[in-house]
Amino acid sequence: MKTTLHLTMAAFVGVLALGFSTLATTPAASADGKELYREYCKGCHEEGSPNGEYTPMSLIQDQWTRFFDKKYTRTHKSVIDEKHGGKPVTETISPEDLELIREFSIEGAADSEHPMTCG
Amino acid sequence: MRIVMLTTLIILGFAASATEAANKNRHERFVKNYEGTQTCLKCHEEEAETFFHTQHYQWRGATPDLVNSGGQELGKLSMVNDFCTNPTGPQWIGKVKNADGKTLAKGCSSCHSGLGKPPAQEISREQLENMDCLICHASGYRRDLYATEDGGWEWKPILWKNQEGLNSVARRIQIPDRTMCLRCHSASGGGPNFKRGDIEYTLKDPPRSFDVHMASDGKDMTCVDCHEGEAHRVRGRGVDMAATDSPDAPLSCEGECHTATPHEITALDMHTDRVNCTACHIPTFARDEPTDMFRDWSNIYFSEEKGKYVYTAEFEQNVVPAYAWFNGKSRVQVPGVPVDRIESGAVAIVLPEGSKDDPAAKIHAFKVHRGKLPVLDDKQWLVPIATEEFYAHGDIDKAVREAAESFYGMDEIEYSWNDTIRYMGIFHEVVPREDALGCLDCHRPGGRMDWQALGYDGDPLEDKLRASR
Repeated sequence: MKTTLHLTMAAFVGVLALGFSTLATTPAASADGKELYREYCKGCHEEGSPNGEYTPMSLIQDQWTRFFDKKYTRTHKSVIDEKHGGKPVTETISPEDLELIREFSIEGAADSEHPMTCG
Repeated sequence: MRIVMLTTLIILGFAASATEAANKNRHERFVKNYEGTQTCLKCHEEEAETFFHTQHYQWRGATPDLVNSGGQELGKLSMVNDFCTNPTGPQWIGKVKNADGKTLAKGCSSCHSGLGKPPAQEISREQLENMDCLICHASGYRRDLYATEDGGWEWKPILWKNQEGLNSVARRIQIPDRTMCLRCHSASGGGPNFKRGDIEYTLKDPPRSFDVHMASDGKDMTCVDCHEGEAHRVRGRGVDMAATDSPDAPLSCEGECHTATPHEITALDMHTDRVNCTACHIPTFARDEPTDMFRDWSNIYFSEEKGKYVYTAEFEQNVVPAYAWFNGKSRVQVPGVPVDRIESGAVAIVLPEGSKDDPAAKIHAFKVHRGKLPVLDDKQWLVPIATEEFYAHGDIDKAVREAAESFYGMDEIEYSWNDTIRYMGIFHEVVPREDALGCLDCHRPGGRMDWQALGYDGDPLEDKLRASR
């Protein structure tokens, strides 16, 4: 299970970076975690992606914490982000932006509480 | 002596921790791999059988507190209401999408404690496995609607592809806390605080100024501290619930928690015979989220913001309650019988029973919800609306006709739109005593009490003062 998760994460980050190729877009300083997630992550992890679909709701809070604390650097450092200047993902996303993405992921995790609606 | 005290404190400390631990995460060693409700049933079949018969699962039940039900079982499932009208038929479950692929509705079963199958009258293995124990008992549990292989729909944990995460959540079993109850009860009627008015998601962690009972810096009470009954049944039905889950254990402020003379001022204690606590201690409701006060299904339009057709609604925030007598019994609009209208011509969806001359009645705080619903011209029966059909196409006439067919089996109908009125008891958002109503809120010209509507000639205090002179 763990191995599968590691591989998926690695693939996730890898394709994430590859997917963001030549456009060196830098989100505004005021960008929130959701915008940053869309900018840096979603492109490679949409529904049906071979890298695995990842939204905040894919993992529980503990899993996201573990990912950002222990797996992110290892699984993303060799993934080139073509969209943002062709650098490794870990060099593309600033520590401040990464913190916002982390907060967004954890706040929206699959075990975060939200009221049910019918629509 | 010091050693004895220290030892006692340590023991008490361990006891408190043990109680908390027993309440939370006590399934850590039982749930190895969560495989749906059958995992729970391995140990809890008996509990599931009790739950099957409750209002939370059946959405209907015995109606000893209705004066006009004729003894029949009624409830959300069998009645027509002035919010989403009725959950049966196509609106029970299924995704309605617009042209852009945006999901407009998922069905009323989103807040049923089952996994998608409607509740049956007869208990069966299929029905027991349809129960979603986690929706009430697991912290951090979330579910969504998924298509089944046979073309139907089912509610599943959103973690169904993440077994490690799902197992973690399924082990977090506990007696429901406020958050778990609010998952469904704070967003009923279609959105945040739309329906009830006094059950907002803010109650998850409210300040004391918002609710003295549930505030973490107040009593920090959970919903089940008051509402827990025997065998999964719930105590308290408010005013507008048709069925009573625990008829032998009515819920009241007075008795288990408060005395009949709880004030330190005699003049205030003199009120408690005829005035319910809610009248003074809930000066306003919907204090954070606006609540739906008027829903007109006859006046529909396309909302660019929501990307779908919608009814016309009026929302209000910080609403001053209406006041009326209530003796614990209600009169409801029973489906399949001619409608009852009040003087204004509005169909009475729910009215509280009681009057000034009824010694069992007290003045209570109410949300008065108004609406507009179809009524059959000939039979004068209230008709629900096929809301999924409406959201999809915006054809309200077709939605009324489809509902008449699925609900009453009628394929040719003539109908007219009629005003409706419904009294809903307000029991939550109890403020600290310093923020409760004062004498002059009611006992002055232009005060908040409509004395004539309550059956008095004028302010009863003036009569008493006049008599004492």
